[in-house]
Amino acid sequence: MISKRMYPWLDERLGLSGIYKTVLDRMVPKVNWWFTLGSATLFLFALQVVTGIMLSAYYVPSPDKAYDSIQYIMNGVAFGWLIRGIHHWGATLMVITVFLHMLRVFFYAAYKYPREITWTTGVFLLLATLGMGFTGYLLPWDQKAYWATTVGTSIAGTVPGIGEFILRALRGGSDLSGVTLARFFSAHIWMFPAIIIALIGVHIYLVIRIGISSVPKEND
Amino acid sequence: MARSPNLSRRGFIMSVMTFAGSIMGIVVGLPVIGFLISPALNVTKSDAWVPVGKLDSYPVGVPTPFSFTRTKVNGWEKTVNSISVFVLRDATDKVRVFSSVCTHLGCRVTFHKDSNEFICPCHDAHFNKDGGVVSGPPPRPLDQYESKVENGALLIHVIQS
Amino acid sequence: MNDLQKAQYKEKYLRAKRNGEKFFPDSLYRDMLVMFAIFLLLVGLAAFVGVAAEPKADPSDTAYIPRPEWYFLFLFEMLKFFPGSLEWVGTTVIPVAAVFALLLLPFYDKNPARHWKKRKFAIGFMSVVVAAMVFLTIRAVVTTPAQENAGAVATTLPAQISAGQDIYSVQCAECHGAEGEGGVIKGVKGLEGYKMKAINSQDEMYTRMDDTLYNIVEYGQPDLGMPPFGKAFGGELSRSDIDNLVTFMRYTWDNRVEVPKGAAQTNAIPALGPNDIPSYDVNIAPIVKRYCVSCHRPGKENNNYYMGSYSDLMNSGDHKPNIVAGDLNSNLIRMLHGEKIEAGGAMPPTKALSPDLISIFERWVKAGAPEKPAK
Repeated sequence: MISKRMYPWLDERLGLSGIYKTVLDRMVPKVNWWFTLGSATLFLFALQVVTGIMLSAYYVPSPDKAYDSIQYIMNGVAFGWLIRGIHHWGATLMVITVFLHMLRVFFYAAYKYPREITWTTGVFLLLATLGMGFTGYLLPWDQKAYWATTVGTSIAGTVPGIGEFILRALRGGSDLSGVTLARFFSAHIWMFPAIIIALIGVHIYLVIRIGISSVPKEND
Repeated sequence: MARSPNLSRRGFIMSVMTFAGSIMGIVVGLPVIGFLISPALNVTKSDAWVPVGKLDSYPVGVPTPFSFTRTKVNGWEKTVNSISVFVLRDATDKVRVFSSVCTHLGCRVTFHKDSNEFICPCHDAHFNKDGGVVSGPPPRPLDQYESKVENGALLIHVIQS
Repeated sequence: MNDLQKAQYKEKYLRAKRNGEKFFPDSLYRDMLVMFAIFLLLVGLAAFVGVAAEPKADPSDTAYIPRPEWYFLFLFEMLKFFPGSLEWVGTTVIPVAAVFALLLLPFYDKNPARHWKKRKFAIGFMSVVVAAMVFLTIRAVVTTPAQENAGAVATTLPAQISAGQDIYSVQCAECHGAEGEGGVIKGVKGLEGYKMKAINSQDEMYTRMDDTLYNIVEYGQPDLGMPPFGKAFGGELSRSDIDNLVTFMRYTWDNRVEVPKGAAQTNAIPALGPNDIPSYDVNIAPIVKRYCVSCHRPGKENNNYYMGSYSDLMNSGDHKPNIVAGDLNSNLIRMLHGEKIEAGGAMPPTKALSPDLISIFERWVKAGAPEKPAK
């Protein structure tokens, strides 16, 4: 078998058995199904990345073209409805799993010593996920998107003192325009994903280093 | 404390790296922030008297909607903003022009003839015919535009920022 | 936590790990099952629920009721409870405080216990917060007024052309003619007798880009007598409507464009075989929609004869009934033939219907003017 001879060669160079030992072949406490929510979220994020990259092959972030390009994805491109459908519903499910994951951690007190930083990165991940939702909502440039973002950004404008400035910074000017769409697109496909991927790296490193928490017993 | 030459060499390298790093951080970081928020710093105010039709075309005592568009430059785009107002003319030809933007969070109000109120659908705010808050969360009455009549035509003063 | 408690925790955790399982394959197996279930759910949602089509963004449509994505609804609903001057508490103080409360949770929650029985305050507090969020979300959904004119959105080219045809027939045909042929305007207030040029000609189509057509429809040409149709200027048409209208004009009258497959059929008035019995739903409604409804709808001069629905067609109007089942001397048939009678003159006033279409009407009336097609 080639693979039998290939493996030691590769292992010597890539350190595969080291990775196997630290990542896969480790002991974890016996836990329940609620503990699958984290990996479910990771899975959904991976799906969002894949479908998002696919969508960007046709999507055009301009007020004149955005709507039509999405109509084309939905009706003209083979399986466009599937890719966009998964991206759309994946976002909804991801918010749900992130939220339930956080509640699980809270109710099992898993944020306590020694997992404080895991929790903090998790909160930032929650915020970034909501940021993805907010920026992604505008991209179809339909009625729902336009008006929700108009009102959403004007809510940010009610912050005392610096509200007006925040509103302009979000919209890229005083009105919702092509500039807004371009920067929401940039935030949605580059800035937030970069932040999320970096934070997921830290989050998972910590989960593997410290180990997943156990279900608290009565004397804990 | 004896200072070993080794340590001071480390210290030196550390401080050189810190120095070079902060210079690079500042030189790249500050422009990046400026780059991203620059549209927010460009505040241009424009004001104009916009004709909104003949005064006689507005019925007396009923707020009547009128819409028009104004073009404004946002970055590279000429954004066409749609502005809609309600014109309320009273028996003495005194005119008040209300903005349709709810003073709470910027949703648009519509006038309901049956209850004689402006209603905002977002948080169920009610304003009376004179723009005053009847119920709901808005912090102040509906905004009004300054208006004047020239040769029978009604003009309103639109200030955009 | 002091050092002793930390050591105790580590000790217990080690024991739990030792009595535990292998991440691979034991834990990962459960993870994979959940992932697979989620995957199936997603594909199912994409296939059977899909993504609802929405009309294009229209800044001039101020009647649209803005709603955020559902997971922001609770925040949006919460703002209802902050009176004007305290608005900033709801929009700023509470969200910022909540974020910091979450971020710093492990640092101010000094309670070393982990079991829920020893964390009653924390558990209770969080439960109340979650319940409040769920309550606010439900309340927001329930109290949301329905979106006005939430009609079907034309997403494919044939559907857009067809939607444009409908709009043209209702909004434009009374002046520009059912096929854009123009002619002398009759029965339109303020424009009576005006000679309208054809808008379906090569001259028109080759020299006016889509943008130009869009602007003419939206803003009108008030100096030439054409009123504005865009919502922003007091008309009835939204952005999508005008887009569809322009698409219809381009694909119908411009002989340079290639008409996509399927577009022609959706538009056509259904053909009638020599032995078929015409019905209102299948045969009459499309003709009426294209040639009559433009004037015969509320708000126009039409002797109160509305033709938008079967019952109106049969029973409305000052000279009703205009259609009597089985009677070819009905007002409608006589006027279609260009007779001048008490109820009015030739209809349509500018250009008579083609003999084919009139014969469909006659056969329909003779067959008893049925509403539904025979099975």
